[in-house]
Amino acid sequence: MRRPSVRRMTALVAAGLLLPALAACGSDDNNSGGEDSGSSLVIYSGRNEKLVKPLLDKLEKAVGTEVEVRYGDSAELAAQILEEGDRTKAGLFFSQDAGALGALSKEGMLQKLPQGTLDEVDEAYRGSGGDWVGLSGRVRVIAYNPDKVGEDEVPDSVFDVVEPEWKGKVGFAPTNASFQAFVTGMRVLKGDDATRTWLEDLKANGAKTYAHNLATLDAVESGEVSLGLVNHYYWYERVAEKGEDKVDSKLHFLPGKDPGALINVAGAGILKDSGQSATAQKAVDYLLSKEAQTYFADNTKEYPLAAGVTSTVEGLPPFESLESPDIDLGKLESLQETLAMLQDIGLV
Amino acid sequence: MAALFALLPLGYLAVRALERGPGFAWDVVAEERTLALLGRSLGLTVVVVAACLVLGVSLAWLTARTALPGARVWSILATLPLAVPSYVAAFAWLSAEPDLAGFAGAALALTLVSFPYVHLPVAAVLRGIDPAQEEAARSLGHGPLRTFAKVTLPQLRPAAAGGALLVALYVLSDFGAVSLMRYDTFTRAIHTSYRASFDRTPAAALSVVLVVMTIALVAAEARTRGRAGHARTGTGTARPAVPAALGRWRPLAVLWCGAVTAVAVAFPLGTLGYWLAVGSSATWDLGGLTETAWVTFGIAAAGAGLTTVLALPVGVIATRHRGRGTRLLEQAAYAGHALPGITVALALVFFAVRYAYPLYQQLPLLVGAYAVLFLPVAVAATRAAVLQAPPVLEDVARSLGRRPWQVLREITVPLAAPGVAAGAALTFVVCMKELPATLLLRPTGMDTLATRLWTETGAGSFAAAAPYAAALILLAAVPSYLLGRHRT
Amino acid sequence: MNELHVDGLTKSYGSEEPVLRGLELTVPPGALAAVLGPSGCGKTTFLRIVAGFLHADAGTVRLGDRILGGPGVHLPPERRRIGIVPQEGALFPHLSVARNVAFGLTGVERTERRRRTEEMLDLVGLAGYGDRMPHELSGGQQQRIALARALAPRPQLVLLDEPFNALDSALRAGVRSDVRAALRATGATAVLVTHDQQEALSTADLVAVVRDGRVAQCDTPQDLYRRPANPWIADFVGDAVLLPGTVDGDGTALTALGPVPLATPPNGLRAGTVVLRPEQLRLIDAGSEGVVRGTVTDVCYYGHDAMVTVAVEGHDTPVGIRVAGPLPVCRGDEAGVRVVGEAGLHP
Repeated sequence: MRRPSVRRMTALVAAGLLLPALAACGSDDNNSGGEDSGSSLVIYSGRNEKLVKPLLDKLEKAVGTEVEVRYGDSAELAAQILEEGDRTKAGLFFSQDAGALGALSKEGMLQKLPQGTLDEVDEAYRGSGGDWVGLSGRVRVIAYNPDKVGEDEVPDSVFDVVEPEWKGKVGFAPTNASFQAFVTGMRVLKGDDATRTWLEDLKANGAKTYAHNLATLDAVESGEVSLGLVNHYYWYERVAEKGEDKVDSKLHFLPGKDPGALINVAGAGILKDSGQSATAQKAVDYLLSKEAQTYFADNTKEYPLAAGVTSTVEGLPPFESLESPDIDLGKLESLQETLAMLQDIGLV
Repeated sequence: MAALFALLPLGYLAVRALERGPGFAWDVVAEERTLALLGRSLGLTVVVVAACLVLGVSLAWLTARTALPGARVWSILATLPLAVPSYVAAFAWLSAEPDLAGFAGAALALTLVSFPYVHLPVAAVLRGIDPAQEEAARSLGHGPLRTFAKVTLPQLRPAAAGGALLVALYVLSDFGAVSLMRYDTFTRAIHTSYRASFDRTPAAALSVVLVVMTIALVAAEARTRGRAGHARTGTGTARPAVPAALGRWRPLAVLWCGAVTAVAVAFPLGTLGYWLAVGSSATWDLGGLTETAWVTFGIAAAGAGLTTVLALPVGVIATRHRGRGTRLLEQAAYAGHALPGITVALALVFFAVRYAYPLYQQLPLLVGAYAVLFLPVAVAATRAAVLQAPPVLEDVARSLGRRPWQVLREITVPLAAPGVAAGAALTFVVCMKELPATLLLRPTGMDTLATRLWTETGAGSFAAAAPYAAALILLAAVPSYLLGRHRT
Repeated sequence: MNELHVDGLTKSYGSEEPVLRGLELTVPPGALAAVLGPSGCGKTTFLRIVAGFLHADAGTVRLGDRILGGPGVHLPPERRRIGIVPQEGALFPHLSVARNVAFGLTGVERTERRRRTEEMLDLVGLAGYGDRMPHELSGGQQQRIALARALAPRPQLVLLDEPFNALDSALRAGVRSDVRAALRATGATAVLVTHDQQEALSTADLVAVVRDGRVAQCDTPQDLYRRPANPWIADFVGDAVLLPGTVDGDGTALTALGPVPLATPPNGLRAGTVVLRPEQLRLIDAGSEGVVRGTVTDVCYYGHDAMVTVAVEGHDTPVGIRVAGPLPVCRGDEAGVRVVGEAGLHP
């Protein structure tokens, strides 16, 4: 009656101990560690596998050595690299945003890049210490539902969405990193008091909060809200997936260096102590190459930042035409205060 | 040794929290907001624990002790919610009813994924209780309800309290559900510290507060448990119980089980189906799915195996040798469960990089991380089960020439087997859905169902994510099914 | 060879009063000794120390020529070759009866193990029950299997911890004699721990009365009953009539029941407590001459005999008188009391 359970449990435990061994044999990842420099490159990627895997596959060919990619959350990977210290396995850190790169730079874990590499991108989109470069950019926009709002009615400044006419008609994702970067940018540009007032007004105006940008975009399309504060590429991805006529929303790019038109970048830096500097440098060069920049333009619908590549995505305004605010991306590290402010106001 | 292992994160926290001197750490902790968050976390914990006790105990009694139609199927179904990652549950509810965001939504999502923590150990104990005691109570003129309240419930107390403790720790450490439901808790403050300022010191200081809370909770649970000795004092050996007839309550009982499983299992599965139906990102990579499922199964089984093996001595010592030292050991074992996965993962990164570099980002370390995180799950189950095995049997075995470890193997473990196996099944399921530690510690390039799910949802491809989430839930049925089969 | 010798055993738990205070006991090879005492006297502690589950604070436990426990020595239970029969049997519920019995037969060849198991089942009168599960047996059967299990590995000593406690009285006598027969048949030395004086007297070859952590008296059942070392033991082992008395010349004591002849010379004692057994008192006609008179306060009828309680003048507590045969009195009657035989005198 009770006897079989013993045997079953023993079997379960035995299976438990054996299976991973088998699994390890099956999936031929003989992780030999980061010490044998030159033979392979380990990339810690804070960018989603779905977005960048094809690019990194091409990168492997271009660099000519075996490339292992570890995907994760940018901030968590940065924390992991900080814990690993000088024994880090990562040769290259490919980050979703500037903040995580800035954190590693602050701890002196990144290697200074050659001037030639740095000069590939505009000064605004690279680390002030010269130890990381931006690779692709995304811009904050206002998505709107054309059935509810005429194109000319869409506000030209985020400061206008707190007007009474938009009461209960604005959606945004307060926990989204890009939104928080935008609020940080607003603080840098307009000061803490103005930003706090704006956030309070936004809340008082009945703006609706969503879990992420895609949910915000959904709400715009369903008409639940008329305006949504999002990143530009979500819309272009959706258009690419469904076709423009099936997407019930449009984008408005804000003019006049409005804080609502902030550009944030994804970038990369080389880890000083990984012993993979040479290959990592080749990888950075590749990511700045025409092929890679074209990939960002075509596949992730972002703005390429180097190699003179311009996006060919239909309907996307040229990068040069964007009137984004002048801001040192390194200063977006002061995210902590932004979060405290959002929490104070009760938006997160 | 098991406890030492479990103590690794605490050592790490001490190093990190005090990095900038105790003054800095104290400033972080003593902030007014910290206390407010602590209050919110505790409020959520109390509500979820209470709800889990009601759901867990009622389902356990119905499935283990009554003539409920399809009792076995219900008992398997009641385990599955555990495999639903809290963020998937939260997401499902949010997409159905956006107004749920906040306390209500967080409590709902967390209750529905964590009540099996109570259900499984309580059901195991119910199967082991000597029916003679209940019969005695009935013969003394107590009705079935009073008998349940006066005789059965007190015996369930160790198991229920152990389960409740796990639920409490789970709620304290959860990040997925509360972040989606936008209910600000203590754990979110810790995550924010990593994400927003890339600063590990305040995060560690805040984590220490969680550890202190864990110790308080474990101590409180030990007090509820009281001086519960082994369950049987009657004559001779227990008979298996005869299932209670439900009579006119039968439809109601079925309805109750049905309703709970519907909201806890069918609803998230249904949501996944909806994602599949409406999304265009669905790609049926069956080969990839199978391989990932297989890897997940293997690594979760290894995690469950190691955790159970480590938990056995801790559970046995905790029941058989009460003392200040053992209590400390037990409390230490619980620390891992209350900490956010990211903190435990970083602690293991810290130690592995320094002292076990060859193991870093290798499977054994990941399996070890599961053991640290989920040791309490297995310990609670083991402890409750060992408590039911009369110690005199161990004495007899010793007198018949068995060494202590042989006694453990031949007497204690077999007697506690139903409970221990339930603990192993629980551990298996929670290992499968573990995400933060898996992301940081997995061998580069390896994927589990949980990491795939994370990747797909992160890219917004919900339809592509659905099969992985569904596989996660279905795979969780395997150990429950095996457990249920030999009981009939 | 299998003599159990316990010397100076001392044990206390934490800072509490010691449970054992220099307990001494010798059980000759093959004998069945009972350790008898009221609850809390330390008998269970004694058993657990002998079995090896507890460490004594001081003292030695010797079995034959092996020292099991003593200063610097503690043989673990599994190496002591001591079988135990716990209260309520404590069979392993997950093992069949046969596997329970064979549990201690390690390192024994399979056919021999089966033979020995069957032999043991036969010995306790349960041949053919090997395939049953413990919960399918009655309490008495479980108890006998527990004995078979303890005896199977041919232990040098068997410890029985109140093994008949849980059985109802009808079963008890039967199981008790079965156990005694089985122990005799194997020639094992055995120690029975009990608080039931009847059980101790009727089952054991030797009874050690334990009080406050010491052996107060160790004797054969008959000597213990007839010559208790002090009034407390007399009262604890069987019923006793305790009377204050003064010595009146050598060999006689004057009591409330008149002059009583003493079994042994008083050794210079002038006064003390006179111990009599209820069966040494006789009920006689109250009108007889020179008789001590009293009033019957209670009558307990047992069938084979009866206990009549009589309040006599000059003594505070009524005295018990065992009466065999038909009852001549009822409650409230006047009765005369006479002493037969000799009494013990204690300071």
